[in-house]
Amino acid sequence: MATQPGAGAPAGAAHTAGSPQQLNQIVMEYLSKKGYSKTEAMLRVESAHTDADGRPIIAKPEEYADVMYERAYSHLRRWIDNSLDIYKPDLKRLEYPIFIHFYLTMISGGHLTPGKTFWKNHVNEHEATHGYDLEELSRINLPVHVEENKLAKLYRTNKYRVKLPVTTKNLLLHFLEETADDGGQTLLSCLNQHIELISLPGRASLFVRGAELQEGEGIVGHTSGRGDLSENLPNVKLGMLPMDKELMKEVEEELREEDTKMKDISRSDELGVTAGKSLIDEFSKIKREEGEDSPAREAIPLPPYTIADVEDEVRQVKEYREKVQIKGGPSPALPSVCMYTFHNTNDGLHCLDFSQDAELVAGGFAESYVRVWSLKGTPLESIIPSENLPVVPKSRRLIGHSGPIYGVSFSPDRKYLLSSSEDKSTRLWSMDTYTALVVYKGHDAPVWDVSFGPFGHYFATASYEHTARLWSCDHIYPLRIFAGHLSDVDTVTWHPNSTYLFTGSADKTARMWDVNTGNSVRLFSGHSAPVTAIAASPDGKYLATAGEDSLISIWDIAGGKRLKAMRGHGKTSIYSLSFSRESNVLVSGGADMTVRCWDVLHGTGLPTQDAPEPMPGMGPVDGTAKVDLPQGGNNKRRGKDVVATPDQLAVWYTKKAPVYKVQFTRKNMVMAGSAFLP
Amino acid sequence: MSLWNSDTIKDVAESVGISNLHDDVAKNLAMDVEYRIHQVLQEALKFMRHGKRTVLATTDISHALRVLNVEPLYGYDSLRPLRFGEASVGPAQPIYYVEDEEVDFEKLINAPLPKVPREVTFTAHWLAIEGVQPAIPQNPTPSEAHRLSEGVPKGSNTTTSLAATTGNSENVAVKPLVKHILSKELQLYYDRVCSAILDEAPSSSLRSAALSSLRHDPGLHQLLPYFLQFVSEKVTQKLRDLFVLNTMLELLHALLENENLFVEPYVAAIVPPILTCLVGKRLGTEGGNHWDLRDFAASLIALVCKRFGGASHTLLSRLTRACLKHFLDPAKPLGTHYGAITGLAAIGGRESVRVLVVPNLKLYEKVLKKDDQDPEEVRRVVEAIYKAVETLEDKEVKMEEMEEGEELREKLVKKVGEVVADRVWKTGRMPLVKAIVESRVGEK
Repeated sequence: MATQPGAGAPAGAAHTAGSPQQLNQIVMEYLSKKGYSKTEAMLRVESAHTDADGRPIIAKPEEYADVMYERAYSHLRRWIDNSLDIYKPDLKRLEYPIFIHFYLTMISGGHLTPGKTFWKNHVNEHEATHGYDLEELSRINLPVHVEENKLAKLYRTNKYRVKLPVTTKNLLLHFLEETADDGGQTLLSCLNQHIELISLPGRASLFVRGAELQEGEGIVGHTSGRGDLSENLPNVKLGMLPMDKELMKEVEEELREEDTKMKDISRSDELGVTAGKSLIDEFSKIKREEGEDSPAREAIPLPPYTIADVEDEVRQVKEYREKVQIKGGPSPALPSVCMYTFHNTNDGLHCLDFSQDAELVAGGFAESYVRVWSLKGTPLESIIPSENLPVVPKSRRLIGHSGPIYGVSFSPDRKYLLSSSEDKSTRLWSMDTYTALVVYKGHDAPVWDVSFGPFGHYFATASYEHTARLWSCDHIYPLRIFAGHLSDVDTVTWHPNSTYLFTGSADKTARMWDVNTGNSVRLFSGHSAPVTAIAASPDGKYLATAGEDSLISIWDIAGGKRLKAMRGHGKTSIYSLSFSRESNVLVSGGADMTVRCWDVLHGTGLPTQDAPEPMPGMGPVDGTAKVDLPQGGNNKRRGKDVVATPDQLAVWYTKKAPVYKVQFTRKNMVMAGSAFLP
Repeated sequence: MSLWNSDTIKDVAESVGISNLHDDVAKNLAMDVEYRIHQVLQEALKFMRHGKRTVLATTDISHALRVLNVEPLYGYDSLRPLRFGEASVGPAQPIYYVEDEEVDFEKLINAPLPKVPREVTFTAHWLAIEGVQPAIPQNPTPSEAHRLSEGVPKGSNTTTSLAATTGNSENVAVKPLVKHILSKELQLYYDRVCSAILDEAPSSSLRSAALSSLRHDPGLHQLLPYFLQFVSEKVTQKLRDLFVLNTMLELLHALLENENLFVEPYVAAIVPPILTCLVGKRLGTEGGNHWDLRDFAASLIALVCKRFGGASHTLLSRLTRACLKHFLDPAKPLGTHYGAITGLAAIGGRESVRVLVVPNLKLYEKVLKKDDQDPEEVRRVVEAIYKAVETLEDKEVKMEEMEEGEELREKLVKKVGEVVADRVWKTGRMPLVKAIVESRVGEK
C-alpha cells in the first residue's frame, strides 16, 4: 500500500510538476504503454481512495489504528451513556477492559503517539476503580514493553471476565453487530479475543452491582489443573483435624486428675466455692473428634505426641475455660486490647509475632536480625550456660540472615521461631538456646512471609517469585510448591485444621490450597489491589482478607463466595487481621494507626445474634464516621472521605504508631504491636 | 511526550564518547529508560510495603535492583541527604550533579565512634478495655483521635509525641482524665491571680488589680473552668470565712462581667457557689455580717438569671424552686430564710414575690414569732420581706378610694401576718398596702 506514492512520484516528477491527478494519468499511460497491465489495474484501484490533493480518503477507519480505536471506544461509551439506567452499571464495567486492550493493541502495533493520546483522553474515567493497574500500565512506552511487562502480558494472554445479565449481553451484541461499520466490528473482535462475557441469569437491576469490580470478574488467571474454579468447586473438608486417640485419652486422664484436685481444694476451703465448670466438661466442648466434615487424621502426618503435647492440651483447656466470652446481649462485650509499642525502631521494624501463650514477642528488623523479648520482662535464659554470661539478657538478638527480615512466626508451643528474609532463606531458631537451628533454602527470591502450622511441625512460606511453599521442620527442601498466583505471594496463613493453606497475592486474589495435593481449591477474587493480610476463622468457616484498597473482605470458604466487604481503614495498608475465638469478631490493624473491631456476620444474611452491638459514643462508629489518613501512601483518590461501614464496632487510635500486628490470644484478649514513629 | 528528556540521553551519550546520537535513537532510549526506572520503582515499592513503611528508602531501591538482576548502586544511603552541587557550563546554564565527597581514610579511621543508637524497647498499655479506650497518657485524647481521623499534616501535634516518648513511667497518676494544655503564661497568671485575690489586707491594691484584670482582660477563656473550680473549692472549704466567700463572689462577678468570656456553658458550675452563699445555714463566724454576703449573692443570682435565664429555660425554675424550698422550711435558721426571700425577689422579681412570697407570709408569721428568735435577725428578715413586697407597689395606680385605716390594716394582717403588716403599715405607703392586700395568686 505504501508503495503507491513512491511508485508515482519519481516517474511523474521527471515530466511535469502537475497535480497528482495528472501525475497518475501520466503514470498510467506509461504503464499501459509498457504493458504492465496488472500494476496499472492496482494503481487504478488504489488511487480511487485519494482525494483531489492526493491525500487518502478515510473511508475505512479500520485501516488506521489511531482513528479506529478512538472512534470505536467513543462509540461504545456514547451508547452506554445513552442506554437505560438499569443496564448502565453492568455495561460500565465493560469499558475498562476494552480501554486497556485498545491501548495495549495500539502500543504493541507501534502506534505510540495515538496510543498515548487515547490513554490520556480516557484514563480518568477508570482511575477511581482501577488505579493500581493503570499506574503500572501507564509506564508502557514501546512495543517491547508490552511483550515484557508482566501485567500487560496478563491482560494479553488471559481473558478478562465480565459478568452481564443475559438481556444486557444480548442487547450489547446486537448493538455491536448492527453498527459494525461505525466501530462495532472493532469492539466485537476485541470482545472475542480478550474478553469473556459470562451470562448471569435473571434481569438487570439498578441496585445490585456497581461500577466496581464484581466478585469473580477480571483476570482470574490460571487454575492449576482443576478447570474453572468459580463454577466447579472441589469439595473441602473444613472440620477440625481429629485428635490422636491415645493423646485424647491421656489428656482426659490428666484433666480428671486436675478436677479431683480442685475439688479437694475447694472442699478443704470449707467455703463451698465451686471451681467453675470441671475441666473435663470443657474439654468435651473443644475436643476435636472425627466428624463428617473433618479431614482424615492420616492426611496430615504429624510426629508422635509427647508429654509436652499433653501438657499443652491441658493448658489449652484451662485457657478455654478462662477465656472472656465475646458475644452480644444487653451489655455487649468488646475485646480488651493490650498495645505493645516499640520505641527507637527508626522505622526499621518490619514484622512482629506474639507467641500463643503471650510470653514472647519477636520482631524482624531491616538490619537483618530478629529480636526476641519476653513480654513480662523476665530474663530469657538459655539452656546453654555460657550464653547466659555475664547476665541473662532480657531480650535476645538472633543474627544469621543477610537481608531484611519480612516475616517471623512462633511455633504453637513457642519452642521455635521461624524468620523469612530478603536473602531468600527461611531460618528456624530455637527458643531454648536462642540460636539458629536450620536454614531452609529453596525460594529463588525474597521470602515475604512465613507461617507455622496450627500443630507445629509444618510451615509455609510466601515469596516474591509467585509461589508459596510448604515445608516441614525436619526437611531442608520444600514438600510442596504452590504455583498459580500471577504475582508476588504477599502473605500466607493456615486453615485451623492444618490441611489447607491460604495465600494472598499482589495479583489481587487470595487462594486456598490443599496441602496434600498441592492444588488450588478456591480462588477468592474481588479486591482491586494487592492482598496484604489474611486470616482464617478458628471455626474454619470464614476467611478474612485485607487489601491495599483498604477493604476487608469476609469470604465463605466452603462456597468460595464473598459475604461482604468492610470499609473503614483510611486509604492505607492493613497490616494484620485476627479472628476472636468464637469467630464472630475480627480485629484489624493498619498504617492508619488504628486498631479496628468488626462484626463478622453483620449484614451477611447469616444469624448475628451472638455478635456484640456497636458501642455507643465510642469514637466514630456510626455509619457516617469519617476516616482519613495523615499520609496517604500512593493514592490519588484523596479528598474523598472513607466512610466506615456500619459493621465497624469500634475504632481505637494510637499515638503515631502504625499497628503491625493484632492477635487474639486463646483467652480472647487482643495483643497488638506497633512501632512509635515520631 | 515522555517525562524523560531525550536531551539527557544525548548528554549521557556524549559523556561516554558517542558524539552524534540520532534523534530517533535518543527518543526511543529515553522512553525505554523511563520504563526501566518505573520498573525499578515498582519493585522498590514492594520492598517498602513489606517493610511496613510509607517512605521509600534507598535500601528499597538496592533490593529492587538486586531482584531485577542489576548491580545495586553503592554509596547512597538514606541517612545522609544527597547534596547537589551546581556548576555552570555557559551563561545561565547551570548543571547539577551529586556531590561526591572525598573521604580521608586517616580521618575516618581515627574519628571517634558514633554514638550507639538507643536500644529498641517496648512499652505496654491498654488500648481498650472491653472495648472502651481508657483515658491514659499513652492513648490519644478524644480530640487528638478526632484530629487523627480528620487527618492533619505531620508535626502539628508535637505535644502528643512528647507525651509518648516519655513513656508510661511517671506521669500516669497525676494527670486529669482529660488533658487540657495550658500555656506557662496562663498557669503563672492563674497562680498570681489566685494568691492576689486571697490577700486579706483591707486596702489591697493587688486584689482590686487582679479583679479588674479578670473583669476586662481578653484571652482568659482557657482558665475559666479552673477559676470556677477554684471558687467552688474555696466556697465549700471556707464556709466560716466571710472574707473568702465575699471575695469569691467578687471573683465570679468579675468573670460574669468580662465581655470577652463566653460563660454560658459554665452556668451550671457558677450557680452552686452563689446559692451556697445565698441560703447557707451558717455563713461566717458567729455574729459576722453574713447579711451583706447574702445580698451580694442575691444580686449575683439576679444577674445570672437576667443573662442566662432566656437561654436555659429550666434555670429560673430550678433556682426558684431551690429558694422556695429553703423559705418554706421552718427548721432552717433565719439567715437562710433571709437569703431565700431576697433570692426569690431577685430571681423572679415582682411576679415571684406575688405568687410565691406573699401567700406564704401568713404562715411564715409563726416562724418569726417563735420565742427563741434573735430580735435582730427577725428585724433583718422582716426587712427583707418588706423589700420584697415593696416591688409589688404599682406606682401608676392612683389610690382613689382609700379605705378606712383600721379596716385596711385588718386586711393586711390577714394577708401577711402581724409582724410584716406592722412593718408595712409603718411606712404609711397606702398604694403598697393596697397592692399587697389585693394581690392574689391567680391574678394577672
